Amino acid sequence: MTSVAEAPAVRSSGVLASLFSTDHKRIALNLLAVSFFWFLLDGVFALLMRTELARPGMQLMSEDTYNQLFTEHGSGMIFLFVTPLALAIGLYFVPLQIGAAEIAGPRFALGGFWLIVAGGLTMDSGWFTAHGAAKAGWTAFYPLSGAQRSPGLGMDLWIIGVVLATVGAIVLAACILSTLLRLRAPSMTLLRMPVFCWTEVATCLMVLASFPVLVVAMVLLYYDRHFGGVFDTQGGPVAYQHLFWFYGHPVVYVMFFPFVGIVAEVVAVFSRRRFFGYSAMVLSLLAFAGLSMSVWAHHMFATGRVTNQYFSLTSTSLAVPGGIEYFDLVATMIGGAILLRTPMLFALGFILQFLIGGLTGIILGSPPIDYHLTDTFFVVGHMHYVLFAGSIFGFFAGAYYWWPKVFGCFLGEGLGKLQFALMVIGTNLTFFPMHILGYDGMPRRIANYSKHAGWTGLNELSTAGSYVIALSMLVFGWNVWRSMRKRVAAGPDPWEGHTLEWATSSPPPRHNFDSLPPIRSYAPLYDLRQGES
Amino acid sequence: MPPPVIDKRHEFAWLFSHYEWLMIAVTAIVYAAVLFAVVRYRRRGDERPRGRDEAKIAESIYAGAIGVIVVILVALTFTTESRMDALAARPKLRIEVTAFQWQWRFDYPRSGRTVIGSPNREPTLLVPAHTQIEFSARATDVIHSFWIPSERFKRDAFPDRTTRFDLVFEHVGETAGHCAEFCGLRHADMNFNVRVLSPADFRAWAGGQG
Repeated sequence: MTSVAEAPAVRSSGVLASLFSTDHKRIALNLLAVSFFWFLLDGVFALLMRTELARPGMQLMSEDTYNQLFTEHGSGMIFLFVTPLALAIGLYFVPLQIGAAEIAGPRFALGGFWLIVAGGLTMDSGWFTAHGAAKAGWTAFYPLSGAQRSPGLGMDLWIIGVVLATVGAIVLAACILSTLLRLRAPSMTLLRMPVFCWTEVATCLMVLASFPVLVVAMVLLYYDRHFGGVFDTQGGPVAYQHLFWFYGHPVVYVMFFPFVGIVAEVVAVFSRRRFFGYSAMVLSLLAFAGLSMSVWAHHMFATGRVTNQYFSLTSTSLAVPGGIEYFDLVATMIGGAILLRTPMLFALGFILQFLIGGLTGIILGSPPIDYHLTDTFFVVGHMHYVLFAGSIFGFFAGAYYWWPKVFGCFLGEGLGKLQFALMVIGTNLTFFPMHILGYDGMPRRIANYSKHAGWTGLNELSTAGSYVIALSMLVFGWNVWRSMRKRVAAGPDPWEGHTLEWATSSPPPRHNFDSLPPIRSYAPLYDLRQGES
Repeated sequence: MPPPVIDKRHEFAWLFSHYEWLMIAVTAIVYAAVLFAVVRYRRRGDERPRGRDEAKIAESIYAGAIGVIVVILVALTFTTESRMDALAARPKLRIEVTAFQWQWRFDYPRSGRTVIGSPNREPTLLVPAHTQIEFSARATDVIHSFWIPSERFKRDAFPDRTTRFDLVFEHVGETAGHCAEFCGLRHADMNFNVRVLSPADFRAWAGGQG
């Protein structure tokens, strides 16, 4: 009876109804679609920049345009793509993984979605103003971002856009955290929550603790631009950097943790093993989130105006929880029965490539080394190994893993493997040479470089790589289109999943579950299967 | 006896090589472990592995081992940094760096000389070799950053405070310098040349003032 009654609700009944639905799954899919739009737009910006940098001299655009492009690329990817993505995946799967019928505060969640949409539109509307879009970098350091040095509406629109998107993210994080704390199914204790849910706990805690500081910084910056007297004082420029990085470092882990969670789930399922070292993992995630609040000024070593030793100590200490996460991921595989399907391949890509980003992060945490490498292409390479070679590979692991749950049909395996191969080649070709370029003296955020600098060859390589990444995205698009046309039915549990989302139909009904299996650990469906065999 | 001359390039090279080898070793271990897992434990039939789900003692020992490595790295970093950040009590030469959109000015207060760049010509910073030089950097508009890649060192120049640092140039010759902090429209063009002269040549240029 239930299945007949709920069938129409699962299908989207009109665009308008879908956009204002309070079903957490619908809001999450809309947010995913919107953030993916910004991924594509800001990806095109990146391609334009890489094309300009392939050769010395200005060929495609003016320096002014280049500065707008890298500002909007960085801002868009961070405020409008990866952060919303990290929350959207939580919004969809947290209620499903803890056996909840709903998200806490569904109307708030819908509001959060619309705030992010409004923030993105506001930010990018700067392109159509007289002075163009914001061009002070995604960090908008003061006094460069002040009224005198960045006149024009584009910068103001950027500030307002950042505030809207950030408040949206805070609201969503509050909804997800409340769900995790208050709406768990009976017998789903905190320490029976899947690893992915714990990564969302850590993520939401960081959002709630650090994002409000960014909102404050932006309001102050806006006030300074229009009325003055905030940062145009002795110590003002450094004060702005403290406020910004107090948000700006935790956000890196916000954009990273949920993808670690996805990789942990995928590795366990495709190794046919319970995730190894659950309690150590949970502890390390919480330690990581706590430490993340105390490392921010490692972005400021070269200012000569912070206590470098303290921030070097806290930053280097991150190796301990990070190392535990790696230990548990690898230990889950050893002794397992590993099936190399596309989600597992992307998870392996994450593990092997993020490692490089993590280790270069430890290198940058040492001030005497950072003096040379900060603000160079070495840092650009580092952050893209973290966010692209790491988080985005984790996202695609999740996309291939959860696609059958969300849409009821598979993504093609052959095209998936092709996309994976292209992405691995493209990613390493694009981002690895950047480390050498930075070490060799190429500053970041430059539109042009001398033909005598000897950087042309590596820049050409990097640009070629970016086109391979673009090609891999086309393959993904093709795969999605084919999957939707062929609709190879997946059934409720195609991968022998461990967690509760696989105990309901694909796609799940409006209220998520008709009945729940017994929950005795963080892998209830795995327990069920062990009991049968 | 004069204090030892701290050459930042050697400090950097020494510290970086430790980090570099450690990172290569960690990468090799993790890659080997993942490769081993994927080859040895690849699913072949319908096996259902049964193993333990955690090893708290092994995990604790492992975490402790990383902790020891962290302590070693931080100790190496702290000792290197205290040497690198130290300012000579009596530098042989002072140079004032002024950064502004989008040029550099170098003042040599003792000899009264000034070098300033123009849109058509990058400025050349002239320095004597083997000499501890104290730089004081300041910006007039936005934040810039004074970076000489071959010296393995940069320091931000702020409009609201002067920052000081020492540099020693080892070899006579030419090298490049850049602004490393994004500073607006023509940031990419805010470069300078560095010409390292022998102390005698430098004295001749500076009018015998050193």
